[in-house]
Order: sequence, then structure tokens, then C-alpha cells
Amino acid sequence: MTNWNAMSDEEFRQIARKFIEDNYPQKLRYPSKRLRWAEIKDWYFTQSKAGWIAPGWPVEHGGMGLAPGKLIIWVEEQENYGVGRAPDHGLTMIGPTIIQLGSPEQKAQYLPKIITGEHVWGQCYSEPNAGSDLASLRTEAVLDGDHFVVNGQKIWSTLAQDATHLYVLVRTDKNVKKQEGITFLLVDANTPGITIRPIMTIAGDDKFCEVFFDNVRVPAANVIGGVNKGWTVAKTQLGFERIFLGSPKLPQYALGRLEDIAMKIGAFDDALFTDKFTQLKLDVADLNALYRRYTEIVRRGGQLPPDVSMLKVWSTETYARIASLMVEAAGAAGGLDGATDLGGMTEDIMTHYYYARPATIYGGSNEVQRNILSRATLNLPG
Amino acid sequence: MMSTPAAQVAEDPAEEQRRMLRESALAFAANELKPARMRTLRLQPVQFDRKLWKTMAEMGWTGLMLPEAHGGSALGIADMSAVVEELSRALLPEPLVASAVFAGNLIAHGDNDALKAKLLPALVAGDLIPAVAFQEGLKIDSPVQSRAEAAGKDFVLNGVKSYVRPGAGADGFVVSAKCGDGLGLFWIPAGTTGAELKLERSTDGTDIGTLTLKNVKVGADNVVASAKVGAAAFDRAFNEALIAGSAELLGLMRGALDMTTNYLRTRVQFGKPIGSFQALQHRAVDLYLQQELTAAALVEVARLFEEGGSGDQLNALASRIKARASDAAMQIAREAIQMHGAIGFTDEYDVGFYFKRIVALSAWLGNSAEHRRRYAACSGIGKKT
Ligand SMILES: Cc1cc2nc3c(=O)[nH]c(=O)nc-3n(C[C@H](O)[C@H](O)[C@H](O)COP(=O)(O)OP(=O)(O)OC[C@H]3O[C@@H](n4cnc5c(N)ncnc54)[C@H](O)[C@@H]3O)c2cc1C
Repeated sequence: MTNWNAMSDEEFRQIARKFIEDNYPQKLRYPSKRLRWAEIKDWYFTQSKAGWIAPGWPVEHGGMGLAPGKLIIWVEEQENYGVGRAPDHGLTMIGPTIIQLGSPEQKAQYLPKIITGEHVWGQCYSEPNAGSDLASLRTEAVLDGDHFVVNGQKIWSTLAQDATHLYVLVRTDKNVKKQEGITFLLVDANTPGITIRPIMTIAGDDKFCEVFFDNVRVPAANVIGGVNKGWTVAKTQLGFERIFLGSPKLPQYALGRLEDIAMKIGAFDDALFTDKFTQLKLDVADLNALYRRYTEIVRRGGQLPPDVSMLKVWSTETYARIASLMVEAAGAAGGLDGATDLGGMTEDIMTHYYYARPATIYGGSNEVQRNILSRATLNLPG
Repeated sequence: MMSTPAAQVAEDPAEEQRRMLRESALAFAANELKPARMRTLRLQPVQFDRKLWKTMAEMGWTGLMLPEAHGGSALGIADMSAVVEELSRALLPEPLVASAVFAGNLIAHGDNDALKAKLLPALVAGDLIPAVAFQEGLKIDSPVQSRAEAAGKDFVLNGVKSYVRPGAGADGFVVSAKCGDGLGLFWIPAGTTGAELKLERSTDGTDIGTLTLKNVKVGADNVVASAKVGAAAFDRAFNEALIAGSAELLGLMRGALDMTTNYLRTRVQFGKPIGSFQALQHRAVDLYLQQELTAAALVEVARLFEEGGSGDQLNALASRIKARASDAAMQIAREAIQMHGAIGFTDEYDVGFYFKRIVALSAWLGNSAEHRRRYAACSGIGKKT
């Protein structure tokens, strides 16, 4: 077993770069849209076979156990090469949750299949009337022998049409405080009674779905963290989500694209543009510094403080400002949909401007993050 | 509903006329302009409705600013803006600003009376949809490289024009080209030999065009403006299009902000309407402020523009409003989606159409950064003596 963390950063970087160059499909570089499973699964399998698929997971569960500094290098090398994001709810959300809270049987049943890519996971939390106020969710699960029977509707589940499995928050007790009657369930997406309907986004893809549950029978053994303890599980998981969504990946990638475009179209001849660009560059650099603070806590196995929410706010809003400057720099081409010619390179300008919108909505909207920060960190009343 | 400023008690005749224009546009919008139209039109080869365009012509809108001699109403940019704003508020993919204001006025400002007599009545009647093909780089100040070489009384044109709106559905193009020491304007009907149009999709779901001209012959009868008057005619029509385009953005702002404040009033989370959260209230107010700054500036700019002035003064006025309108609209568009949450990001929900049209029109004819630059150059900022 290679001890990655013992390597020098430079040595690790060279190996990572070569792995990507040797294996990542040329035609999927710099994808302008979020890739579907069918398009990117081969890359997932390649990483899986080579042992690179779960760089942040502990070695005993099939990961590389990379230290944060090395993880950042891995992310940077992917960005530099324009590697697209594979469906990663298994790797970033449910996998770590199972590692932390799952039973030994659940670990054995699910973790290896996330690593191999046999299982693809989708998240079913939100409902039409339970968005920011997630705890008011109503999809119901009633125990019937050794199964739960689930009824209700979920919405906004990212790429659920490609999922083999869903992790679902359900109501199991209506007579207690709303947070105390919620249970976390693992559900096979092929169970009878589940209907998944893709929803088209304004960016023109069907990135998320509605998921209907009609008398869906789920083994009671598929509960994580105990019946009526789902809210605690979800909150643990939101910790991973906030650090993941707060990673510099998105803004750094967009900044790289902006720099390339700006070089091609001569935008750096304009001192005003250069100033705006530099400001964003420093915003991303300092985001990296802030990010390291929290990854360090994670590495030491510590508890993330509530102010980790800052990461998500700064990362997504920096991303949005980069997307805005890209549209501005592109002038007339800033109003075009799809790939267009920019000084000899082809780029889809709008994709970042579109995707900057939901980034400040999902994973706890930025308003909700600010509410958390003002109450839990600044101790303001309310 | 967002309240609009109350009408004055004693109205002057010009005000009254503008109010009536506004009301007829409002009534038309209520009957004819349904957001659902946007979903079907974008699937068509031409993404606006020529039948509806004809009806708009019957309302007098395609000829609102055009000379009476050619069937128009010879009204000013303030009146035109009032109509455009109300129609745009209800989502209008028809090219009222691009064809009737920009191209129409450009032809009218030219020095070829015979050509005016041929084209303008057709535009007034709703039978002709012209487009202006002027831009050659990403920015509005990218220099014109296209050339028109004299060949006897005729001209031969070569060059590439980008971001032509409308692309799909345009019956012909007013093309700018260097001509001797000046700028000439030439009428090139769609499908002319040597003039190839390539379409690209704009965010608003309409196709805009790149027009490539290879040795295109233009007869003297199709010279819209000679090199003597071309540049001045262009600047004037461009400025008028900037003002009307800003009115179009203002209408979109109003539509998007109306939808958003309605949503804030009705969407319930945590047991109350989300509009009761102060974090959103204050931002909604900021958006309203931007919208009303645009509205007030538009009225002032249109009035001063009609009073006239030097070329630089008029350029500065038009750029002032386009900069404001583009920025304000983009901010409202982004916040409209944010305040709706996930539903605002779906194609099924109408606010996205406002978002997309705002993105398209903010970039068209120059975005806010370009117009601040133009304003600075034309208003003498930093050149105080
Ligand atoms: C692209 C995308 C992917 C998603 N993927 C998933 C997924 O895979 N699984 C899943 O379960 N969900 C997913 N979601 C849903 C996401 O979690 C919700 O959109 C989010 O929780 C917000 O809920 P909402 O959309 O209902 O907005 P609402 O909660 O209705 O909020 C509307 C607006 O009000 C604001 N607001 C609400 N409450 C407050 C408050 N107290 N103070 C101030 N402002 C407030 C919000 O910030 C927002 O601006 C996804 C969403 C998007 C856009």
C-alpha cells in the first residue's frame, strides 16, 4: 500500500497529474454541463480500479487517506486538466455518513459498492413545502412488520434519475417536536412504488428530479442512526456537505477558465479588468486559506464549528462574482447560450452564470448559512 | 402588484398621450402576451410570432417613431420607451427595439429617400423585419473592418458582422462598412448572394446571427446612408436603440420583481411567509430602488435626448441609461432566482424567462461596463479644464 502522505507534495503532484493525463477522456475535458453517469462512469471505474476514487476516505474503507494538503493538490490537478464532476453523493455524503454512523453490516453492504461504482446515490431530503425549513418534511414512513412503508413526495434530488440508491429523510413520528420525529433511511431506487421524474433547469439540462413514493416497502434494517434520530444524522452529514460545498473547487475552476478567456481576448490590456480579476484571484486564494483551517480540523478528527458555514458563503459567492465578470468580459458573447467563439477558443460563457445561481441555494441557502452564523457564531439574538 | 407613481392631476397633452400609449400596450399585453408562448416559440425556426408582429404594426408600434411621410407617427423616444416597457414587462420576444427602433430609425436617418419610401411603409405595415448588422468584435467599440468598395455607382462589400439581432426571421440587414474615409450603411436583403447568415442561440431563446459578406454587390439604390451621413445616422439610431433597449430592460425588471415580491408574500417556510424575513425584505427594497433609479433616469434621459445636444452629449445620455438598466436588471435577475429558491432555477417556472431575456439584452448593444466607458469618454470625465 502506497503511503501517499509520506511523499513530498511535488512528487505526489506529478503522480496525480500523470494519472489524470493517462486516464481522463480527452473529449470530456472542460465539460460545459454537469456530466451524467453514463458519460463519466468509465472515468469513475478507472479511478476505482486504481484506488484513486475516494482520496479522502480512510484506507480501511478503500480510500487513500489523503491529508488535506494532498487532497487540495489532487483537486487542483483535476481542475488544471478540466476534469468533470462525477455523481459523487456516495463519495462525499452518504459514504462518510455510513463510515461515521452505520452499523458494521451497513458498512460492509454499502461502502465497497460506492468504491466500485456499483451503487450510485441520490439525496432525497427536500419536499415542495420543506426547503429551507427541512424539518417540516412530511413524507411518511409507517412500520409494518420488519418494513417501513413510505409515502410522499421529494423534490430537487440531484441526478436521481441515475441513482441506484436513495438516502431519504422520512417522518416517523408526528406527535413530537418536528426535528424529533424524523428518520434516515437507505432505499433501493428500484423498489416498487418509486417514480422518478426529471425536472428541466433553466440551463437546459435535467439535473434534478422529483421522486414520488407510493407505498414503498423499505427494510427496517435500512435505518441509519436509529428511528427518530434522522435529524441528528442529517446534521452530521451537513457538516461534510458544508465543507465540501465550501471547497475552493468551483471558484478555482471558473477562475482558471476566466483567465484563459481573458488571455485570448486581450482583456488584461484593460487595467480595470485586471484589477477586478486580481481581486477575485485573491478572494480564491484566501478561500483556500480558510478552507485549510477546516480541513485541518477534519484531519485531526475534530468537530467542525458552526462557522464552517463561512466557507460555503464565500466559495459560492466568489464563484458567482467570477461568473459575472466572465459575462462582462465577453461583451456581446455574454448573452449567448452554449459554446461560442472567443478570440479563437470555444467556451460556454453562460454555464457558469447559470450554475452560480443554484450554488447559493442548495446545501442550505446562503441566507440560512448567514442565519446560522449570526446565531451560533456571533451569538446574536433571534 | 407593485404600485406605479400616481398620475398627475393636471396632465399636459404629451403626458396624456404617453399614458394612453402605455394603457393600450398594457391591454395588449394582458390579452396577447402569455409567458407560455416563450416555451413554444423557442422551438420554432423563427422564435417570434410574425402574426403577432403584424398586430403590433396595426397598433401603430412598428412605425411609432418613423416619419409621417412613410406612414409612421413621428413620436419621440419617450413615447416609444413607454410602449416598449409595458410590452416587455409581459415578455416580448418580438424584435420591437431591434427592428422598429434600431433598424427602422437607422433607415429613416439615412439619405436615400427612394429606399425609405420602399422599406419604411413595409416596416410600418408589419411586413418587413429588418435587423442592424454593425458589430465586429466582442465589444461595441471594436473597430469596423468591413469595407465597401465603390464599383461605378455600386458597391462591393466584404466583412463579418456578429451578434445580429434578430438573426432568425430578419428579412434584411442594414450593414455598416468603411467606405472611403467615412462609414456607409447598406441594405442587404436576406438571402443575397455572398451574404451568409450563421445562427447562434441567445440566452433568451432567440437566434442571433453572424453575417459573413463575400463580395456582396449592393446597388446605389440600396445605399441606406452615404459615407457623408452614415456615422451620424448610426450614432443617432444606436443611441435611440440604447434608450428603448433600456426601457425593455426596465419592463423585464418590473416583471421579475413583481413575480418575486408576490412569491415572498405567499411562500411559507418556518411557519411564515419568507417575505417576513428581514434579510429578504431589505434586499427586495434594494432591488426596487435599482428599478426606480432606472425608471427615473429613463424619463430624464429620454427628455434630454429629445431636447437635443452635441453628439457627445447624446452618446453620454444613452450610455448612462444603458449602463444603469443593464446593471439593475442583472442584479434583479440574479436575486429573483435566489429569492425563489430551487423552483426559480427550473424551466417550468416563468421567472427564468425574465432572467434569460435580461442576460441577453444586458449584453446586447453593449453591457454596463462598456457603456460606463463610453459615458466617460463622451462626457469628459477626468478632462476638467
Ligand atoms: C441545483 C439544486 C440541486 C439540489 N439538490 C438537492 C438534492 O440532491 N437533494 C435534496 O434533498 N435537495 C436538493 N436541493 C434542494 C435544496 O436543498 C433547496 O432548494 C434548499 O434547501 C432551499 O429550499 P427551497 O428551494 O424550497 O427554497 P425556500 O426555502 O422556499 O427559500 C426561498 C428563499 O427564501 C430564503 N429563506 C428561507 N428561509 C429563510 C430565513 N429564515 N431567513 C432568510 N431567508 C430565508 C431562501 O434562502 C431562499 O432565498 C437542490 C436544489 C438545487 C437548486
